[in-house]
Amino acid sequence: MNPKNNLLIGAIIAVVVVMSYDVGVDPIAFVDGLPNLGIVLKEMTEFESEHWGIAFWAMLETIEMAFIGTLAGVMISLPLSIFAARNISSKYVYVPLRALLAATRTFPSILWAILFVIMVGLGPFAGILAITLYTIGFISKLQYESIEAIDYDPVEATTAIGLSKIQLIRYVIIPESAPHLLSQILYMFDYNVRQTSILGIVGAGGIGFYIINYIKFFEYGKAAVFMLVVLIAVLAIDWISVKIRDRYIMKAQHGQQVKVKTN
Amino acid sequence: MKKNTSIATLSIIQMRDVSASYDSQNFVLKNVSMNVKRGTNYAIVGASGSGKTTLLKLMNGMMIPSSGVVLYNYQKPDLKNKEYKKSIAKIGYISQTLGLVKNSSVLDNVLIGALPRLNAVKSFLKMFPKDEIDTAHEVLNLVGLDTKSNRKVHMLSGGEKRRVAIARALMQKPDILLADEIVSELDSVTAREVMDVIKDAQRKFKLTAIMIHHDMNLALEYANRVAVIKDGDKVLEIGVDGEQIIDFQTGDLTQEEIMEMYNEPKK
Repeated sequence: MNPKNNLLIGAIIAVVVVMSYDVGVDPIAFVDGLPNLGIVLKEMTEFESEHWGIAFWAMLETIEMAFIGTLAGVMISLPLSIFAARNISSKYVYVPLRALLAATRTFPSILWAILFVIMVGLGPFAGILAITLYTIGFISKLQYESIEAIDYDPVEATTAIGLSKIQLIRYVIIPESAPHLLSQILYMFDYNVRQTSILGIVGAGGIGFYIINYIKFFEYGKAAVFMLVVLIAVLAIDWISVKIRDRYIMKAQHGQQVKVKTN
Repeated sequence: MKKNTSIATLSIIQMRDVSASYDSQNFVLKNVSMNVKRGTNYAIVGASGSGKTTLLKLMNGMMIPSSGVVLYNYQKPDLKNKEYKKSIAKIGYISQTLGLVKNSSVLDNVLIGALPRLNAVKSFLKMFPKDEIDTAHEVLNLVGLDTKSNRKVHMLSGGEKRRVAIARALMQKPDILLADEIVSELDSVTAREVMDVIKDAQRKFKLTAIMIHHDMNLALEYANRVAVIKDGDKVLEIGVDGEQIIDFQTGDLTQEEIMEMYNEPKK
């Protein structure tokens, strides 16, 4: 460890301390509060099992919302990402479009959900719109970046044959940039399920509506049932997406499946 | 031009005193003339940086000469010319890097060659007419890859990738095949297998092939005529018939320089 590194670490610690003071980090409050957490956790273990059914259907609604929102977002992202790619589009198209896409990513989906609740009223549809919009911002960025990174050889070769621009996009650009798409969609869906779980807080549908209401009225036992269902669902989706990834993506990209360590 | 009409009817590519440069100062080609007759296998041999690739780019209009005339089928190749652009669909061009779409299947790559004949809506929906798909299988059969038509290109070997590129070029129903060092990176057995494929295709479709080679021996083995390019100058043109050299145009080369070329075919 050289002095320069020590200085750097010291500086980082100093910055963290100053910032913590600024935002009111209080370790004593944390320790004092531990018994409260104990009370909540104890109440949470007192499951009210008659709620499993409701929780299941609420989670299903959440997953449906995330699914529709993700797919709609991806469908809209694909053409947008082509217009936003600097190696295909004109400057006058990609600059404003990128700014717009960046704007949709700036705010978390819960803020968009509030806007859409005002627009279309309470319920899952507002949530779907919020998820769609956020997905557009995210997937478009990932896609135009992979379009910009494609190999230029096939583009040059097929232009020399006389392919039109649309044919070039359809037969060269999309296949060359697509391999990561499935992986990105799976990641986005995974992320959207978790996002959708809290959209209910602002009345945009899904399981979050129940969780926030039970917590508000100190019914931790009921809230716990719903939270547990979210946990199980997220784990299940994660497990399924790993399976899909192994089955299709690894095989498609490397011609073989992942060698998983068994010991 | 006029006085050569009788020869010109047989020629597919004519070059007269062509010079070319990328920056208008350093000339990559200096006053090169050549005449490629229909149906021949014309080889261009030379060291790296001697201007071989530039020659091919002049032939299909990816580049235009700074002086002199290039004619392909009595047209001046120029990709910026709308009228000419229609005829490039008939020029099979295989670059040194092959330019295959690695994540698409072999069949999809071959069908790209038919795209210039397909209208926008049909090509967007990937609706190829049945006879085009039949033709694709036919050319794949010819290059010996029909059993692997659903394989993704990135999973193929180097020799197989070259066969796909040849099949895509044949799918264009070309008059002429321009190939830039497509066998240079292969071992000599695989290189000869690929050259045999081209030979078969030439016989079947009465195709002219202009191929750049690194290896003088390979060029002499397969070509009807071999042009040797050195520092942007055509220094030698050899006519070959089987194993016999039938004519020898040396330009202003000395005996030693010619021998030197024979003895270092590879770099």
